[in-house]
Amino acid sequence: MNVADLTLQADVAHWSWSIALFLWFVGLAGMGSVAYYFMRRAPLAFTIFGSLVVGLLLVVSHLTRWWNLPITIFYAIVEFSFNFESWMFWGFVILSVHLVFSAVVVLANIQFLQRFWFLRWAAVLNQSNLFLMGFAAAGFFATVYSGFLISTAAGVPLWNTALIPVLWVISASVATVALIELFYVLGWADEREAAFGLRLGMGLDVMKLLAVLAFIHISLTVGSVGARIGAERMFSGDLAFMTWVGVIGIGILLPLAIGVFTLMFGKKKPLLVVSAVSALAGVLFLRAAVLLAGVWEPLVL
Amino acid sequence: MRLRRGQEPTRRLAHIWNEANCTACGACIIACTATNAPEMMHREEKGWNSLASNIRRIESVTPTGRPTMLLNQCQHCANAPCVHTCPFGAVYYNDDGLVAIDARLCIGCSYCVAACPYNVRWMHPDNGLPKKCMGDACLELVAANQKPACVQACPANARDFGDIKDPNSSVSQTLKRLPHRTLLEKAGTEPKYFIVESSS
Repeated sequence: MNVADLTLQADVAHWSWSIALFLWFVGLAGMGSVAYYFMRRAPLAFTIFGSLVVGLLLVVSHLTRWWNLPITIFYAIVEFSFNFESWMFWGFVILSVHLVFSAVVVLANIQFLQRFWFLRWAAVLNQSNLFLMGFAAAGFFATVYSGFLISTAAGVPLWNTALIPVLWVISASVATVALIELFYVLGWADEREAAFGLRLGMGLDVMKLLAVLAFIHISLTVGSVGARIGAERMFSGDLAFMTWVGVIGIGILLPLAIGVFTLMFGKKKPLLVVSAVSALAGVLFLRAAVLLAGVWEPLVL
Repeated sequence: MRLRRGQEPTRRLAHIWNEANCTACGACIIACTATNAPEMMHREEKGWNSLASNIRRIESVTPTGRPTMLLNQCQHCANAPCVHTCPFGAVYYNDDGLVAIDARLCIGCSYCVAACPYNVRWMHPDNGLPKKCMGDACLELVAANQKPACVQACPANARDFGDIKDPNSSVSQTLKRLPHRTLLEKAGTEPKYFIVESSS
């Protein structure tokens, strides 16, 4: 295909590894908050808060006018110019709420701070199902937002699919389950939680595999020229190694194989570590591959 | 002046590029940068591998071996994805129907860059603003009832600019008389950059 004006999104909009890491951290914190409702443990609370802070620092550092953020917010409030149509605006709102909720949960999990009477409200909230339901909802919507952020960028046809928010939720859930497996190895989760995580993780791996292959297949077969070029880069082009080895091999098939082995022969902690780390890496590779594969629709063929 | 939601612009200013008249001399591209971003003369937009300008030249060869060229720029879409995606309303329609940017409200997230189906925005390396046609200097020219720099610089009269709501304007007359097209018509963006396909 002779495409004269093939421009990589990463070369002009510069959404590459730093944004992939941001999406990864937001997904981990987001679906981690859902897991926290069922598994109220301090290490999980600290991981959620840490992920969110690192993710936000990454995305702010990516802004070419980060120093203008306070001025922008000031004028946006004074002139009420907020764009309610924009998923990035909703991202600011959702991530702000999520950050506040996760800070409360972290406060409640620092035993030393609970000595101070004026901070005990955090522990009260941390025991409220309603509050934790709100925390889980904020996390879930943060993950959903991180998908819509990409899929509504109309300039990159590969991303313009409803599959991305769904794929992001599934893969972020895989990452959360991997985190729980790591916690089990470190002694921060019990046998029951690890066993549930293992089965859930295997189901999610299968769903993630299906969603990744569907994403590539649909773009390759019925997508526009720009979507097809992006999918070709993932399927057989310069990003094929990252897709087949990173996303599918390391990120899905290896944890799935270890899961089957564990069900048949019992838990082996070193194998669980390999499974969890590879699943976490695979989720990052997925975000990076999808971002890097984006190209604009060629205007001249 | 910023248009409010649902408000119609008083004028609908549009660009015309006559591909049949164009000699591909590049004067419009140079004039654009020299007028709107003189500090970028001799500096490259790395993603495009060309001069940082609000007009981009795309060259190709047709399947029959004929060389072809397109001058691409902001289409000032009536349904602009960049306006829909900007989180703080920095990108807006003005009362001339042009897509403009308010630097006070821009944080440099590049969402408008990724949202533009025409790939016409570039990030200014010094101030971090997403630049595109029309630049500030050209907007001043238009406010002073002059044509933008690219139109003034074109030696072949391949460019024009004016109000397509006014049936007597030169752009309306050209569009009435000559066959023309817009880019990515199926994208639903209602572009206002018209490519005229015949010189007579």
